[in-house]
Amino acid sequence: MKIKEGYLLRTVAGSNIVVPVGEGSMDFSGVIQLNDVGAFLWKILENGSDSQNLVSQLLKEYDVDEATAKNDVEDFLNKLREAGLVE
Amino acid sequence: MLNKLKVAGLNVEVGYKYPTMVKQAEYYKTDFEKADITIDIPEETLVSLQKENPHLSMDDCEYIFTGARFYESVLDFGGMLLHSSCIMTDGYAYMFTADSGVGKSTHAGLWRKYLGDDKVKVINDDKPVIRMKGDEVFACGTPWSGKTDMNMDIKAPIGAVVCVERAEKSFVERITPSVAIPLLMQQTLRPREIDKMNTLLDVLNKLLTNVPVYRLGCDISKEAFEVCYNTVKVR
Repeated sequence: MKIKEGYLLRTVAGSNIVVPVGEGSMDFSGVIQLNDVGAFLWKILENGSDSQNLVSQLLKEYDVDEATAKNDVEDFLNKLREAGLVE
Repeated sequence: MLNKLKVAGLNVEVGYKYPTMVKQAEYYKTDFEKADITIDIPEETLVSLQKENPHLSMDDCEYIFTGARFYESVLDFGGMLLHSSCIMTDGYAYMFTADSGVGKSTHAGLWRKYLGDDKVKVINDDKPVIRMKGDEVFACGTPWSGKTDMNMDIKAPIGAVVCVERAEKSFVERITPSVAIPLLMQQTLRPREIDKMNTLLDVLNKLLTNVPVYRLGCDISKEAFEVCYNTVKVR
């Protein structure tokens, strides 16, 4: 899966935020804030990834066990799906 | 013939003829060779904008839509609109931001009342521009100041941004950038173009890195002014 077109991830004063641009701004006008892990996963998902790859990237980058990483990835993906941000 | 104005340090050419713009723009008139921003809304466009907004007169439409074009264009020059009542005292700008009707102008008015009109200048009562220059961020006056004519062709480094809300008991507290971001994003024009959005976030980043942001709960009492002033004033 992949982040839909039309969203921009930026760091503003230490906060990771996602804002809609172009087509995205038609459906959504808020600001999404991500923690560092969220921003890390988001960047991978901008280019497309399955959840298994997300888990293994997370294990490489962060000091977590596999069960926690799997949980974090599933939670994050669920939130993205609920918000309609992935396709 | 377009009118030549200096607004927020930029050379702006604007076509207008109705009384509100003529009056509001008077103090910004200047001369220059090359324009940074050109705003020339054809009469027929204004006519159709007026038809879409029947509660507005042609005069209102010219004032509102030349302003809208300006705030959209200023993003190309590292500037952003912050919907706020912005005053200057002791060399610093203080920006009171909130939705319309909450009382940001009223609170700014308390500063004028209790500090005196000789000590407080209104930079722009509704739509000042924030521009970056080096590590500093400045609030700048523009001719477009919403329902009032309170604006001046001046700029000042920003001392504080204050997000205003109504409260029975006055309080003021500093808020973190992550709390401030959604509040400030609600009070600016959000561009759809990615380049303009990137500039907006550059300005916001510089603002939030260099300037404290506060949340103020207030009524219209002298105490509300004192609570705010004693905390947010740059020393």
